[in-house]
Amino acid sequence: MPRLSMIQWTGLLVFLIAVFVLVPAYIAASGRTDFYYTLTSVALLSIASAGVWLTFYIGRINIGQGAFALIGAYVSAILVTKAGISFWLSLPLAGLFAALVSVLIGVPILRLRGVYFAMITLVLTQVVTLTALALPVTNGAKGITSIPLPGEISVFGLTVIPDFAGLENPRLAFYYTSCALMVLTFAAMYRLVNSRLGHLCRSMQQNEELASSIGVNIAYIRVIVFAISSFLGGIGGAMFGSIAQSVYPSSFQVTDSVNFMLNCFLGGLGYVFGPMLGTLVLYFGWDLLFELGRYQLLVYSGLLIILMLFLPNGLLSLRIRGKGVAGR
Amino acid sequence: MEQILANGIYLGAQYAMIALGLTLIFALMNVLNFAHGQMYVLGGFVTYTFYGQLGWPFVVALLASCVTLAVLGALIEKFLFAPVIRRSSREESTMLLAAGLAFFFDAIILLVFGEKQRGVPKIVNGVLNWDFRIIMPYDRILICFLAILSIVGFIVFMQYSKTGRALRALAQDRTAAQLMGVNVERYSMIGFAIGAMLAGLVGGLLVTITGVNLGMGGPTSIKAFMMVMIGGAGVISGAIAGGIILGFMEAIGLAVLSQYGDITYLLIFVSLMIFLAIRPQGLMGKPWG
Amino acid sequence: MKRRHFLGASLLTAVLATTTSIALAENPVLKIGFVGVTSGPAAAWGISNQRSMETRAEWINETGGYTIGDTTYDIEIVSFDDQKDPKRAIAGMEKMAQEGIHYVVGPNVDDGAAAVRPVAEAKGIMYFPYAFPKELYTAPASNAVLGMVANYQSGPAIYKHLKEKEGVNTVAFIAANESDPLSQRDGGLAAAEALGLEVVSDNVTYQVDTTDFTPVLTPVIRTQPDLLVLSGVSPANAPQLIRSARELGFQGLISTETAQDATVLREGAGELANGFISVGGASTPEIASDAMKEFVERYTKMFGEYNDESNTKVYALEYILETLKANPSAIDNVKEFQSTMDTFEASNPYMKGDAKLRYVGTSSFGQKRQVAVPLVVNVYQDGEFKTLFVAEVD
Repeated sequence: MPRLSMIQWTGLLVFLIAVFVLVPAYIAASGRTDFYYTLTSVALLSIASAGVWLTFYIGRINIGQGAFALIGAYVSAILVTKAGISFWLSLPLAGLFAALVSVLIGVPILRLRGVYFAMITLVLTQVVTLTALALPVTNGAKGITSIPLPGEISVFGLTVIPDFAGLENPRLAFYYTSCALMVLTFAAMYRLVNSRLGHLCRSMQQNEELASSIGVNIAYIRVIVFAISSFLGGIGGAMFGSIAQSVYPSSFQVTDSVNFMLNCFLGGLGYVFGPMLGTLVLYFGWDLLFELGRYQLLVYSGLLIILMLFLPNGLLSLRIRGKGVAGR
Repeated sequence: MEQILANGIYLGAQYAMIALGLTLIFALMNVLNFAHGQMYVLGGFVTYTFYGQLGWPFVVALLASCVTLAVLGALIEKFLFAPVIRRSSREESTMLLAAGLAFFFDAIILLVFGEKQRGVPKIVNGVLNWDFRIIMPYDRILICFLAILSIVGFIVFMQYSKTGRALRALAQDRTAAQLMGVNVERYSMIGFAIGAMLAGLVGGLLVTITGVNLGMGGPTSIKAFMMVMIGGAGVISGAIAGGIILGFMEAIGLAVLSQYGDITYLLIFVSLMIFLAIRPQGLMGKPWG
Repeated sequence: MKRRHFLGASLLTAVLATTTSIALAENPVLKIGFVGVTSGPAAAWGISNQRSMETRAEWINETGGYTIGDTTYDIEIVSFDDQKDPKRAIAGMEKMAQEGIHYVVGPNVDDGAAAVRPVAEAKGIMYFPYAFPKELYTAPASNAVLGMVANYQSGPAIYKHLKEKEGVNTVAFIAANESDPLSQRDGGLAAAEALGLEVVSDNVTYQVDTTDFTPVLTPVIRTQPDLLVLSGVSPANAPQLIRSARELGFQGLISTETAQDATVLREGAGELANGFISVGGASTPEIASDAMKEFVERYTKMFGEYNDESNTKVYALEYILETLKANPSAIDNVKEFQSTMDTFEASNPYMKGDAKLRYVGTSSFGQKRQVAVPLVVNVYQDGEFKTLFVAEVD
């Protein structure tokens, strides 16, 4: 069990207060309610990106997270609309189903490395999109629409989570839910990275043969890590489906898979919280440049190139060495 | 049957050319050039401007495409990729740079050339119709011929010229090449320029048949990645083989599976995944890691 | 040193951002939104849309503004590029709500239009998508208004015309392997079968990034249909498909239910595109009014080149403004707008004759949730469109 220092505890507390108190207070004060959705998106995309980061951690470039997000979105949507299951139950099921698929696919393809693994995962995104178009259960090209909002959860008559449809502001509810999920995800990631599994992953990242020779069951670890990664993708996707109340084969595409990967690069591959920061900057950056109109993409990509030129190891590499959270 | 063969050769030749530039850049610097498709589109637009708009001879326009892209490639390597590779702790970081470049080119293309699909006048008219067994327009045959010629030219260049030999040495073992006195920085730049030039050349060739629009970049890159994977990353002959195989897979798949339309590409992708799972380094590649 | 460079760049963008938002003075400003795709592969759809709105707004402002009730407004178009990503489209709609906008044109595709529905209904925004799924417009959905003629409305009219006038008996469909085109193919298929046409091929699809359509089309052409329908074809793919079909020796008719651009067809297929039937707007000389001609002129002056796809896209903004004029209290109250829609009628400025602007769609959606755009069916001939026939949708 990793022990947090005083400074880290303070940092965590500040972060939690910022996310759950200060941001909503700021939004309420400034009236910028559109930030709820933007920040919800950032939270959800960073959950999926965290999964991609984890596969980077075992030395694999994963450009297939969009596939698992789409699987998650469809599983949740189908369970809610066709089987009538509560969204809150469908959410973990979506993650688990994505993880199951990733185990089946992962066993053969995780033997691949470098660009080969990257490309096969890229193709995987297209395979899932095309499968969604071809299958009857996904309703093919017409997608699944009019998905109800998450319902109520009560324990012994006590409402734990209210019915989203009955809320005055479902956006705020989605914001809290997504941020809570994000905090849980990154807490779990931090725990994992500093556990024995994390150490093993690092040794694999450096040299798989060596790790294998000292008795690490690398095949097993690879699959476990890939499954966790895809679980996170599935969760993120399912939440998005619920917010949009619709899922289409194009809800997550190759572009999304690439973006998940870019989020990790931008934040910094050496830092657990890299994907969170990377997602925030990439997604929010696009929104902030909205005023530029037709020059939006130009400025956005220009800034991206400049960033990469000066901080090739990610934004978090600005921090003083040694204080980095994850082992380097 | 003959038609499938003809379609396969035509598709294969054009695909192989796209894959060649990508694999060259990858072999030299381990950079997965996400902007390759955009370079191809840019090449198409340059030819469109000179041949379609200004009415210059096609060959001159084609040369303009090559030169523009070669210069662009050299500059990108010198001022962007080389510094980033030097400074970054993991060489995959160049992926973000490449993706940023892809977005940047997309933006430039949209601002300069607009959102519309563009095309140029045909270079040759008429259709070869051999007893309805092979139907192939003459311009396609010409482009196919030119593509094969360029591929052969490229192989000869890599095999016999001094630059080509240096590039091959560099691709094989960077450190060893440096020790043998190859100017690594200079040849990296030349290699990147040639890779970009190939993208521009094929863009210029194909604009006469398929036209060009700003959206073609991303999908082209992905297709090129697939071909490179089939043949083996960083291997010239592999890229050619990968291109031809993908071309034939499409030609055959579309002919045989047409009644199940929706699943042709699904099957191509799935079989590609199975193939790579069985043979991770592609047909001719060396294992990477 | 490096840091300063980066700061400089971000400072520059900040300055740019503020200067662009300061504009227009005098009249109060009425903001109308646009959420659609203006970058990437499908950019042509959104850009033609956005530009026609900007052209019209500029025109209105230049001539003194638009009077609604007692107030004269300058019109400002606020655009959001959703990159054809439904997740971004939601963000765009949120942004519109933030800007206090109640009337939005777009999104351009099915998934985006479905995804923004919760926001639009929660925030009181009427939106005019260019997407065809019926559940968007059928109750309980309330805030979407179809901004054009749907393919399940234009398809039957075109097939019927061709069946009666051209003796078409067999038809083949081909569509891109994407949501919108596939749905449109299914709609067209149903319409053709209802008319008693024989469908000889309906399951061939292609990837949008196809560069050679010969292998795709070969099996379709072999069935020798009288009519080949390119369902939901994008302007980029249309000329290539036409060219390949003709080069394969196809002699029959080719049609689509989407709007196309004459220049693109001329450049991409040349005279092989002659006889190609598509759905257009109001710019063909036979029916264009002087206002339409002026619109095209202004558009061309502003952006250098006209896009014929804009013909079908001039209307949404006009409908929004005219309806607001008819009921000024709707300016920040979409409930008022919705009740006005049932009775609204104004003259169509873009067409010769006495064509009317009004809301329709009762027979398709059970409520008036569609703009009555004249269904203008064009045929391409030597670089320009000619009107084949004009019909009405109810």
